[in-house]
Amino acid sequence: MKSCIKFISFTLLFLFVFVSKAWAEKVTVITPYLAQPGTQMYVEGFKNEASKKGWDLNIIDTKGDVAEVISRIEDAVNQKVDGIVINVDPSQIAAGLEVAAAANIPVVGMDSGADPLLVTNVTSNGYAMAAETSVYVANRIEGKGNVVMFVFDAFPPVQIRGVIADAVFGNFPDINVMDRITPDVQDGGIADSRAKMEALLAANPEAGSIAAVWAAWDQPAIGAMQAIEAAGRNNEGIVIVGIDANPQARDAISQGGNFEASIAQDFVGIGSATANAIGRAMSGEEIKSKVIYVPTVLITSANVGD
Amino acid sequence: MKILNLIKKYGTLIGFFGIIIFFTINLPSTFLTAKNFINISQQISMLAVVAFTMTVVMVMNDFDLSVGSMASLAGIVAAVLFSMGYPIWIGILAALFVGIIGGLFNGFLVSIIGILPFVATLGTLTMFSGFAFLISGGRTIFGRDIPSEFSSFARSGIEISSLDLKIPFLSILALLILFIVWFILEQTTYGRRLYAIGGNPEASFLAGIKVKQLRLSAFALTGLGAAIAGLMYSSRVASSNPTQGSGLMLEAIAAVFLGMTMSEEGEPRVLYTLLGVLILGVLDNGLTQMNVDSYIREVLVGFIVILAVAFSSITKKRN
Repeated sequence: MKSCIKFISFTLLFLFVFVSKAWAEKVTVITPYLAQPGTQMYVEGFKNEASKKGWDLNIIDTKGDVAEVISRIEDAVNQKVDGIVINVDPSQIAAGLEVAAAANIPVVGMDSGADPLLVTNVTSNGYAMAAETSVYVANRIEGKGNVVMFVFDAFPPVQIRGVIADAVFGNFPDINVMDRITPDVQDGGIADSRAKMEALLAANPEAGSIAAVWAAWDQPAIGAMQAIEAAGRNNEGIVIVGIDANPQARDAISQGGNFEASIAQDFVGIGSATANAIGRAMSGEEIKSKVIYVPTVLITSANVGD
Repeated sequence: MKILNLIKKYGTLIGFFGIIIFFTINLPSTFLTAKNFINISQQISMLAVVAFTMTVVMVMNDFDLSVGSMASLAGIVAAVLFSMGYPIWIGILAALFVGIIGGLFNGFLVSIIGILPFVATLGTLTMFSGFAFLISGGRTIFGRDIPSEFSSFARSGIEISSLDLKIPFLSILALLILFIVWFILEQTTYGRRLYAIGGNPEASFLAGIKVKQLRLSAFALTGLGAAIAGLMYSSRVASSNPTQGSGLMLEAIAAVFLGMTMSEEGEPRVLYTLLGVLILGVLDNGLTQMNVDSYIREVLVGFIVILAVAFSSITKKRN
């Protein structure tokens, strides 16, 4: 009798697992960049949300191979999944996106760039990030003084940051952008930014002649900080800000020196917002906005330890 | 005893059909369909071209480790020329030319200078990759720089409207190259001489075969194949990246080895290489459809290659 009950309960359990698996919506996430810390955080946020929704999730890492992303999209379409999420420039995988579109399977971008073949792309707002850090600088120097900008106009996501900072600083009559530097980024951007900043410091030896450094990403901000410290001018109150809040920037901010602020993207939040977006698309909802922005957080000494 | 012999001879082929049956049972509605197999043929087309032309040097017991970086370099050369406004045919010809020159350089190092192929092509692997980064400035070239006629090649094919199927041009190109390599290796004196060099280079030399020239030309063919694969890759992703081909080399060698287990003398045959490529492609496709973790997929593929080669070497030893 006991074994009979055991048998029945095992059978029921098996059936339950099997049937619930068969009923669960199938979602495939494909990325060539799973080795990157940022992508891992997107995926972590996505996984948490997907497990709440009870999805049958398949995460595929093509290890840098973009053509394989197309192949795996084709496989997922063939497998008749309910939704696909990608984390790669959509213009390079148009061949795969067309296959998914033909099969009416929604594809959502997770910080991938916008594309007509994507339902939507979930990312951070580069314009807003630049606005927040440039306004932080303007307020800290009380709307007056010389500001050094580090920009990189050749790369569109960074170029838009420079445009916004130009507008903010231009709106303060007593702020003067004394130099708009494009560092050489071959070595990551720190070394050349440091060299450029050293030259500027040498050309402007009087204390207070440089009020602030605004950098479109963290590496030039770190380079500028190193130059200021090496020149022994770290007590002049030069305010430095960056964008991205990478670990090196966070470390500098926590020291309480010249590097005062940076802005952090909410990678986990992008992951969970992407899960919500693909969920809405799979339920047949029309998502009007081609880009969904996830709020960013200004990191200063007040919250760097959080 | 007969059955045992059959397994010895056709073990890999039986394994391949075993894999197909396994996926057909597990994926009853989506695996064994014409559409899926056309899909797979397109997905493996680039690897297939590299593996087919890799077979040419492996016939002589040589290796070419530089095929992956050559594929990247060729794609970059074409894309840079496109971005400078040159017509598509110039970009393609230049990329193929770079492939031949790179291959000849490999051949020169191996057959004239006498460096071991492993070491020589390891060196050129780094060199070609460096050139790809140098020419592209480390960037991915994409968007308007890549002409749409070039990228649409990989998305088009011959429509068979009665069956509602499309045979992709990439698959057709790979088949064409398979035929050419098969013809060269199996139907010409040139091919038979390459096999002779593989059997015994000294005896071949004494028999009057121009070993040096043949090795040089074989490497050029492999370089050309790598360049073709690089162009196919660039067309498929509508862009060129200085590292795009890096995954091709190891898989191509694995495919040739898998194929070699089919041959009684243990020598590479291009039709068997096709089987090796198919095994890798079918595994990737089927395991993805079964939601198997991509890292587990990688472990499995490596394990199957070892299993096949080990099985064949054990049974051959017994023979």
